[in-house]
Amino acid sequence: MLSLLIFLPLVAALFILVLPSRFQQQYKFITLGVSLIQFVLSLFIYFKFNSSALAAGINKESQYQLVEKLPWIRLNLGNIGSLEIDYFLGIDGLSMPFLILSALVTFVATLASWEIKTKLKAYFSLFLLLNTAVIGVFCALDFFLFYVFYELMLLPLYFLIGIWGGIRREYAAIKFFLYTLFGSVFMLLVIIGLYFSVINPATGNHTFNMILMMDPANYSYGSIFSAIADKNLFGISARLLAFIVLFIAFAIKVPIVPLHTWLPDAHVEAPTPVSIILAGLLLKVGGYGIIRVCYSIFPDAAMQTAWWIGLIGVVSIIYGALNALAQTDLKRLIAYSSVSHMGFVLLGIASSTIEGVSGAMLQMISHGGLSAMLFFLVGMIYERVHDRDIANFRGLAEIMPQFTAFVIIAFFASLGLPGFSAFMAEAFSLIGAFTSEQVNGLIPRWMPVFASIGILLSAAYFLWTLQRMFFGQPRLKGGEEWLSRLNDVNTREKLALIPLVALALALGVFPSLLFDKMNASVLAFVQLISG
Amino acid sequence: MMKEYLPFISTSINDTIASLSYFQSEATLVIGFLLVILSDLFLSKKIPQLSFGLTIGILLIVMVQSFALLNVENMPLFGGMVMMDHLSILFKILFCLVSLLFTLFIRYNRSLQLHEKGTGDLYAILLAVHLGMNLMAMSANLLMIYMALEMVSLGSYLMVGYISRDQKQSEASMKYALFGAICSAIMLYGISLLYGFTGSLYLNDPAFISGLNNIPPMALGVSLIMVLVGVAFKLSAVPLHFWVPDVYEGAPTPVTAFLSTGPKIAGFALLIKFILLINALDRVFFDIELVLASMAVASMVLGNFAAIWQNNTKRMLAYSSIGHTGFMFLALFLAPGQGYKALIFYMFIYVIMNMAAFLIVDEIEEQTGKQNLNEYKGLGRQFSMLMVCFVIILVSLTGLPPTVGFTAKFFVFSTALDAYNSSGSLMILIMIIIAAISTLVSLFYYFKVPLNAFLKESNSPEVRINSTAKAYISMILAFLLLLLIVFPSIIQQFL
Repeated sequence: MLSLLIFLPLVAALFILVLPSRFQQQYKFITLGVSLIQFVLSLFIYFKFNSSALAAGINKESQYQLVEKLPWIRLNLGNIGSLEIDYFLGIDGLSMPFLILSALVTFVATLASWEIKTKLKAYFSLFLLLNTAVIGVFCALDFFLFYVFYELMLLPLYFLIGIWGGIRREYAAIKFFLYTLFGSVFMLLVIIGLYFSVINPATGNHTFNMILMMDPANYSYGSIFSAIADKNLFGISARLLAFIVLFIAFAIKVPIVPLHTWLPDAHVEAPTPVSIILAGLLLKVGGYGIIRVCYSIFPDAAMQTAWWIGLIGVVSIIYGALNALAQTDLKRLIAYSSVSHMGFVLLGIASSTIEGVSGAMLQMISHGGLSAMLFFLVGMIYERVHDRDIANFRGLAEIMPQFTAFVIIAFFASLGLPGFSAFMAEAFSLIGAFTSEQVNGLIPRWMPVFASIGILLSAAYFLWTLQRMFFGQPRLKGGEEWLSRLNDVNTREKLALIPLVALALALGVFPSLLFDKMNASVLAFVQLISG
Repeated sequence: MMKEYLPFISTSINDTIASLSYFQSEATLVIGFLLVILSDLFLSKKIPQLSFGLTIGILLIVMVQSFALLNVENMPLFGGMVMMDHLSILFKILFCLVSLLFTLFIRYNRSLQLHEKGTGDLYAILLAVHLGMNLMAMSANLLMIYMALEMVSLGSYLMVGYISRDQKQSEASMKYALFGAICSAIMLYGISLLYGFTGSLYLNDPAFISGLNNIPPMALGVSLIMVLVGVAFKLSAVPLHFWVPDVYEGAPTPVTAFLSTGPKIAGFALLIKFILLINALDRVFFDIELVLASMAVASMVLGNFAAIWQNNTKRMLAYSSIGHTGFMFLALFLAPGQGYKALIFYMFIYVIMNMAAFLIVDEIEEQTGKQNLNEYKGLGRQFSMLMVCFVIILVSLTGLPPTVGFTAKFFVFSTALDAYNSSGSLMILIMIIIAAISTLVSLFYYFKVPLNAFLKESNSPEVRINSTAKAYISMILAFLLLLLIVFPSIIQQFL
């Protein structure tokens, strides 16, 4: 089932590659079909998903669902036993929501791909390859496999930004690539170090199984990452160092201040569908990695650094929001708002409370939908007039009433209006952070207080933008020519936007749709990390 | 005088005859060498590509013969001059792969094919060099090692200067020959010192090892380093890399591809022997491990950083191959014995990647005359399939998924970290971190190719180009790189 979900796009990509170019107008329909099938499959998984405490997953292999496990690479390395790499997939409550999100965001991004006019064959094959990699990351439970998918995301993105991007696309593409690769090369070293530390009790071999890495009993005595031996590397505890390395690798993706500078560049230069994938899914890979890998494998180090992670979260929230206020380019504004909103994820995770982690998970899903919607809306304007400077538009509400309605929904939902998902998510993250001082003493109270200022700031920049661009007398930089091109929302665009609105509303009104499914896993996760 | 040796004659003849049966593949090479020369002399007018066909056939036979002996255990031949074991057979199979690809490369390289000399001699030289490489992998005697090394060197000098069209190429071949001659002279001097100290030339002779243990540490260190100079020249390891960029740029591209794989790998086969020897010595004298480690680090750093500033594609690949040498060092001397599996796997992949990269560079040069990276603008549109393959190959050279280059790099890192785990030496950890950083650095220059080919548009008019056999070969190789990450057991089963 999961393999089908992962490799369906790959098969479609190969199909597109062999299909002659005269069918190139059909490529987008193939891609759309693939994302629809994925969406249906993921909904099926959602409804079939067992949310009882006996299927919580996290650190118990038997509790994972839809497990697929095949031996993949076995290389005998002499005295250290044989290399044990498995093709190992499975989901629990923390990964299942991302499958739905991936399918939905891909669907929207495909609809946004209608604007792509050149080199369609290459574009759609890379797009589908990216889709394979993203879903693979969310399903992989073998660290080696995880890493393969994780790195596989880079290449298609590099080309998608670099070939179909804006003016400074080359710079943006290589910057993005280098930032992420910097994190992941060192992550590879930690992975190998973990491999040598962990022994599969069933076979006696070293293993890449992430779930076995979560159990301190599986670490061989005296190995580098053994909690008991507590070895030092360059004067600090090896486990702490490994945690920091992994955290930086994923945090670059999230992104956190000060490792965020690739994001505005990448977003601004990327074509709309790629921005959607980037904001809607790739940032979530970072958050997911922190939960699944950093926290679950190194809970002790996570507890030690919780204060710092909380601080980074708060700084990202405030700094991102302040930057968003200062932007003149609408897309850049939304990119910075992403930095700000993803800060709540970090804050929620750092609190290590049930509310906080649930809030962080909900925030990721909610932001995935909302940022996809925001970037889609920006893309609509850009596609029509090839401009997105806030100052060049005024009074759009009269020219494009339906469009404005969608923008208002997206803006209000993003700034945390009750009734929308972001409100629930941010509220839960903050509650988690507030109670943390009482429950485990990790996060001081002033952090959530400052984080709430971020909500205020986000209201400021969204409302100010709304006022500047959409209200008042219509005045456009391009004059009559722009006016004729600024048509209102068409059917295809509605088709993309309505599911996203529905998601934001549904999770805002009934957050239990998500909470019920992942509660058991969140409980198990919090129990694991707080020992 | 003669009489004293009489009783030994029959045993040594028996030994030689018994050894011959294990020496089939070498015998095939010798016969093949003669056949190719003869056929080129007498039949080349009637059947133009006869020597090509013959060479391919001979190499295939050699490969089959090598495979047949795959599981042989330490087998001393010819009175211990030659030592055949599983590892040396693996090396021999690798050489077959290299030579096969090289032969195909020669066949489809236009400048070699159109040259008035013809390519018949080149095939003959190749077979002789191949014999030399086989001997390098198997020899267990210092004289034998020297002879094999010289055989490879002489052949390589000829190959580099095979078509000296202009000054640059003549300079390259001259430089290569001079550098090579000096290095092998130093090596010979080292060998004579070792012989003088111990009275034996056999590497695994107990008398040799005990002799080495009894001489002053400084003298031992110096003479060993002198021997290693000759090997390091073949490996193109820093600081004996000076010839590499000029020779790689000046030599015909197929020869460059060959030099960056065949003799280099043979050099590693030799290095393994010396490292085993050093490990067998019981005294810690002159920290030769530190010397090797600094060579590895210097090769990785210099190779990768210097490659960033290159504009000529072949020069860039030359520096990158220096970087790869450094990386292979890492696998090699950290865990000799166990590390070789990771190393051999890496080498198999390295051969495929490097050959394919040079094939594509050559194809582009022949079709468009473009040799520099900044001229690659817009090529992605013209040669879309070929450039996609080039990107796959470069991704593999960088060591990223979804190519098998990642798996290979991963194995090496695993071996190295294991060595760190068991020894705890800071030197190894530093090497590992430098290897990781140089991976990152290598991205800078490898990705100049897709950057120019796909991301930049060119103003020059497009030329429609027909794909040639060379392009198809490189596509198959690129596909192999993708296939092998899913099924690495195709190679692993032999290790």
